[in-house]
Amino acid sequence: MEKPEKLIIDGRRLDGRLPDEMRPLKIQAGVLKRADGSAYVELGENKVLAAVYGPREMHPRHLQQPDTAVLRCRYNMAPFSVEDRKRPGPDRRSVEISKVSREAIEPVVFLELYPRSAIDVFIEILQANAGTRTTGITAASVALADAGVPMRDLISAVAVGKVDGTVVLDLNKMEDNWGTSDMPIALMPRKKLITLLQMDGNFTPEEFKQALALGFRGCEQIYEAQKQALREKYSIKSEGE
Amino acid sequence: MIHIQNRELVVPGQLIAEGGYSIREGAFREGDKFYASVVGLADLHGQDIRIIPLQGRYIPKRGDAVIGVVIDTHHSGWILDLNSPYVGNLFVSDLLHRKVDLLTEDIDQYLSMGDVVIAEVKDVNELMRVQLEAGEVGMGRVTGGKMVELVPTKIPRVIGKKGSMIATIQNASGCRIKAGQNGRIMIWGKDPRMVNAVVEALLMIEREAHTSGLTDRVRLMLEKVKSEGGT
Amino acid sequence: MYEIVSSVKRDYIVDLARQKKRIDARTLDQYRQASIETGLVKPAQGSALVKLGSTQVLVGVKIERAEPFPDTPNSGVLMVNAELVPLASPTFEPGRPDENAIELARVVDRGIRESEAIDLEKLAITPGEEVWAIFVDIHVLDHDGNLIDASALAAIAALWRMKTDEVKDWVLPEFPISKKPITVTIAKINGELMVDPCLDEENVMDARITITTTEDGSICAMQKGGIGQFTPEELEAAYELAHSRAVELRKHIG
Repeated sequence: MEKPEKLIIDGRRLDGRLPDEMRPLKIQAGVLKRADGSAYVELGENKVLAAVYGPREMHPRHLQQPDTAVLRCRYNMAPFSVEDRKRPGPDRRSVEISKVSREAIEPVVFLELYPRSAIDVFIEILQANAGTRTTGITAASVALADAGVPMRDLISAVAVGKVDGTVVLDLNKMEDNWGTSDMPIALMPRKKLITLLQMDGNFTPEEFKQALALGFRGCEQIYEAQKQALREKYSIKSEGE
Repeated sequence: MIHIQNRELVVPGQLIAEGGYSIREGAFREGDKFYASVVGLADLHGQDIRIIPLQGRYIPKRGDAVIGVVIDTHHSGWILDLNSPYVGNLFVSDLLHRKVDLLTEDIDQYLSMGDVVIAEVKDVNELMRVQLEAGEVGMGRVTGGKMVELVPTKIPRVIGKKGSMIATIQNASGCRIKAGQNGRIMIWGKDPRMVNAVVEALLMIEREAHTSGLTDRVRLMLEKVKSEGGT
Repeated sequence: MYEIVSSVKRDYIVDLARQKKRIDARTLDQYRQASIETGLVKPAQGSALVKLGSTQVLVGVKIERAEPFPDTPNSGVLMVNAELVPLASPTFEPGRPDENAIELARVVDRGIRESEAIDLEKLAITPGEEVWAIFVDIHVLDHDGNLIDASALAAIAALWRMKTDEVKDWVLPEFPISKKPITVTIAKINGELMVDPCLDEENVMDARITITTTEDGSICAMQKGGIGQFTPEELEAAYELAHSRAVELRKHIG
């Protein structure tokens, strides 16, 4: 594919969005039968499924922690999720994403309530269009709440970047490919603490501050959608009459 | 001050109250603020904050009646799956209530893999090692019947205040029921239609646990099936 | 990780079977509620999500250029792979495909290949050098029994909805598929044969037989699974069941 001449025309991005606009977001909680908790998230053309098993018995035994649960996270892309078929199985990129995703989520989980157990988080990318790791974290957070795992807060995540010199929220694939910076972040929204931060590209310190502020605003929107999805799933159950 | 209504559906991280309260379940404290830790229904009485979780795994505690499945044996007893992150250990002597000569007796004759056992949690230590007791009347190996698994947090509603709901189900259906705190329920009955009706009733309770008039609706539903029976 | 089946559940299912009944009130020849949604995954040229009861399988089909196999230089290549991802069941572990994933992929492959549903001869680009490769990727999302039938149905549904307009240098007017092989799995419990085993039935069954048939009733693939055994009469009965159920299931593909 050819690089487009401009990524921002008359203040609008190629898909019509303003710099501070997110792609359409849809979140559903509790979509799988076998898993203890699950969530399905669509962000633009991203389609992500997350599931949680746990707390459950931890195998192998020798990795059990005597005073806390162990949180494990696996990010995986389906072979058909990307333009050029991806060979099944973990590659270096998914191993890294699995690690930073786990580190983004772990701080809010009350692991100490379940010694010697495991809490397993699985993220499957069914269709990818930039921002899969942050969408995965957003989905995983809802799946944990759906499983009844006690947490201090949900974790909301989004990516910000820079295209044509402008800081933008929620890069799509073209912007990720041809833009100059990509910065995924994840937040504990209530306390505004950052649990995931990665960046590649080029930011002046001023642009970084702008991007961070923009990311915070994006995460707030995601937080509302996550809470809404949980309420929707459970309010039918609680009303009953 | 309280920031939510009683019976409101809350999500993790939601502010519940500020001030001098105490937590019974489903919440945590930061400074003088109280937040929900799970998706649940607020159950507020006086200074007590309780969020009833709508999901969650069973964590064994002493005194709980449980229904376990044998998944392993060892030289002096068995390991039971409890539908929990933690398994239960049952010594032969806690099943038979007598001394057993392990050198001469083959304990396999009492319980084998896959057997269902009605037991009670005798003890849970800090390392979450669970000891079970299954020698009293009404406990031990289960034969026949149908087993159902519900979300463990709904079991109190299945039992009801002073056993009122479980008595209603038994009387209206003619079936016998035993509920474990770990979400497993055994149903025994001569008429398979009534057994299935009881399963439906239990699923209804799981769905509508926090509504009022539930006991009456369950009773009416079961009586209707019984009257349509013809036996 | 193991799947525990309590003796109570096992006895219940086995006893019901003796009465020709099933744990979810289906008849022996009845499938669970089935639905197919196609075209959900844009990067794939074909995709289908099949729900069979609570079992959910997503299949994506992609077309890429590849070298032909040396013994078939003028033929396109068909590759079927199955991922039993851990989110679909507490018993699935991360890692390379295990024997179940491999068997699943190979059974689905056989149904498509042996029925000659796809005319692989039409998929040569430069004979001997470059051909089209069809990658059928099975991604199991929720395991509540009978992954074989759900996966095979999703695969053939996806293949019948291929969109080739964005495949660079694709010259064929349409995707060369002409048949709808349908896979039916039958479990044997306490001497009774029943179609579309749900998870509980799979955990208790003595054996299963999977039969793939095409529109004219001819058999293109079979697979027996489990350690129990079948008599020739049982296999004949299984064929009758498989053929009649296949006719019904085929309607879902439109």
